[in-house]
Amino acid sequence: MQVWTKLFAKSPFKPLIKHAEVVIQTVETLEKALQAWHDGNTEEMERLAIEVDRLEDVADRIKEEIRDSLSSKLMMAVSREDVLIYLHMQDKVADSAEDTAKWLLVKKSVDVPAEIKDVILQMGRESIKAAKLVYEAIVQMDRVIESGFSEKEIAREYELIHAIEDVEKVIDDLDTKLMRLVFENSDRLDWGTGFCILNIARTVSNISDKAKDAAERIRLMMNK
Amino acid sequence: MDPWLLITILLGFAMAWAIGANDAANSMSTAVGAKAITPKQAVVIAGVLEFTGAYFFGKSVTETIRKGILDPSGITDPNVLIYGSIAALLAATIWLIIATKFGLPVSTTHSIIGGIAGYGIVYAGMSIVNWGKMAQVVLSWILSPIVGAIMAYIVFKALTRSIFMSRNPVKSARVWSPFWIGLAFVVIGTMFYIKVLHGKDLKAGVLFYGIPAGFFVFLITYALIRLRFPINDPYIGVESIFRRVQVVTSGYVALAHGANDVANAIGPVAVVYAVASMGMAGMKVPVPRWILALGGLGIAVGVATYGYRVMETVGKKITELTNTRGFTIDFSAATVVLFASWLGMPISTTHTVVGAVVGIGLARGIKAINTSILKDIVISWFVTVPVAGLISAVIFKVLMLVG
Repeated sequence: MQVWTKLFAKSPFKPLIKHAEVVIQTVETLEKALQAWHDGNTEEMERLAIEVDRLEDVADRIKEEIRDSLSSKLMMAVSREDVLIYLHMQDKVADSAEDTAKWLLVKKSVDVPAEIKDVILQMGRESIKAAKLVYEAIVQMDRVIESGFSEKEIAREYELIHAIEDVEKVIDDLDTKLMRLVFENSDRLDWGTGFCILNIARTVSNISDKAKDAAERIRLMMNK
Repeated sequence: MDPWLLITILLGFAMAWAIGANDAANSMSTAVGAKAITPKQAVVIAGVLEFTGAYFFGKSVTETIRKGILDPSGITDPNVLIYGSIAALLAATIWLIIATKFGLPVSTTHSIIGGIAGYGIVYAGMSIVNWGKMAQVVLSWILSPIVGAIMAYIVFKALTRSIFMSRNPVKSARVWSPFWIGLAFVVIGTMFYIKVLHGKDLKAGVLFYGIPAGFFVFLITYALIRLRFPINDPYIGVESIFRRVQVVTSGYVALAHGANDVANAIGPVAVVYAVASMGMAGMKVPVPRWILALGGLGIAVGVATYGYRVMETVGKKITELTNTRGFTIDFSAATVVLFASWLGMPISTTHTVVGAVVGIGLARGIKAINTSILKDIVISWFVTVPVAGLISAVIFKVLMLVG
């Protein structure tokens, strides 16, 4: 009887999916915070930014649990290293959202031209897409294994990976546009505001960067 | 009736009970774990089919263990056979209980062989053990997980090729799952010809019993598999088909297990019976049907009285197992075990099943397997036979002094 209870270890995919869900929540909350910031609703923005921080903590805890459960004695359908690095990247998505929230909190009221605010808000919206795609990609990875690595499912996974890369590209372009805008408006901005905006932009674009890294890891999982 | 015979019968029954309580429950746990059947249903299926397997398919393995390991011409005193058999049975049972307590995946087959070798060596020294046979037996244990793994790897690959990679997995599953069940019945039908009808010609068995039985069952299963609900997700559809299929294959495992493992309990009983009824066991003594029935009954009672609880706990702990994987384990392990039992090799069901799980793992079919279990298995190979032998030797010595 013991042979059975010891033989099957818990699949890491269910907790990975759970982690991805929390990451989506984190990014969605950040987007709301950006919206509040955009509308000048500082109080609401503060509340949401703190919520982002809390959600990131939740994600961290799930991450620790998954790490603890992945003993080196497991024989897995995908390599343990890939799972660990993937998890690290997925967690970084939430981390980046938290970084943005921090910048929002540091300099609460900034007098920023509307067109710059618009671009940042747009970046936040695109980031949600990236986080949702990462979630879909890890769910799909579970299916790829379930199907015994069937080509059809692998093809579907590649579509998701490409979609993540596309989102990352869109955000990258927005980032470039924003940098240009900041320098075009340099005479209207004090250095602190400019510095803050550039950092918000950098951290927001990090969200999709890390999403892309996570997608890259899924690609490796399928290639083994 | 000879009091010693009575004692042996009781011990044999107890051992059969232990096999039913632990091993037999194990054989059904993939189905219970994958929620194909409830523990209650599993008890009924396992009880009936373990008995059927033991009673109809159980003979040749019994003889191999009885005759093969020791050289019967080296034992001239009939009492030695009686005491020895009792010692072997008792030792195996004791070791099984100890091992279960420490969580080692030991095999009943290994334990009983250790027990037999143990008393033989105490009585007549190392030379009485047929070492060539022993080596063969040990080899077959090492082979059982390996063959189980290879078989499961192939079956799993074939399964994914034919079903998951097809354009319409649910539709393919409707055709292919009866095919696999049919294949199982080709094996069962052939076994029936060889074991029950005592047929000699394997080709005739396959052609006239195996294939017709398989084809017949294929048609019935194909007709029975209807999907009564609309399925959006093809994998859920496939799994739900295999959930039903698994009820059949887990029965197949129970049958194979009964055929293979009943020998461990009743082999020694058969020896004592031969001595009691004929004065001395010859080179060849047929195992009476009633002894097989006794073993089968013991296993069935074990499943019914204790196996229920085992299945319930194990079933809860292996929820990670999906139906297609459970099916692959069942089908591969049962086929390997039945073949081995037909060849007269004392294979270990437990280890074959573990091998099958690892085989699917190698095919990247299971998300996470604890490989520390493999270490435990290797340890149990090295430990079980000597320890059971030692316990048996001590009991035998005591019995010789007392008797």
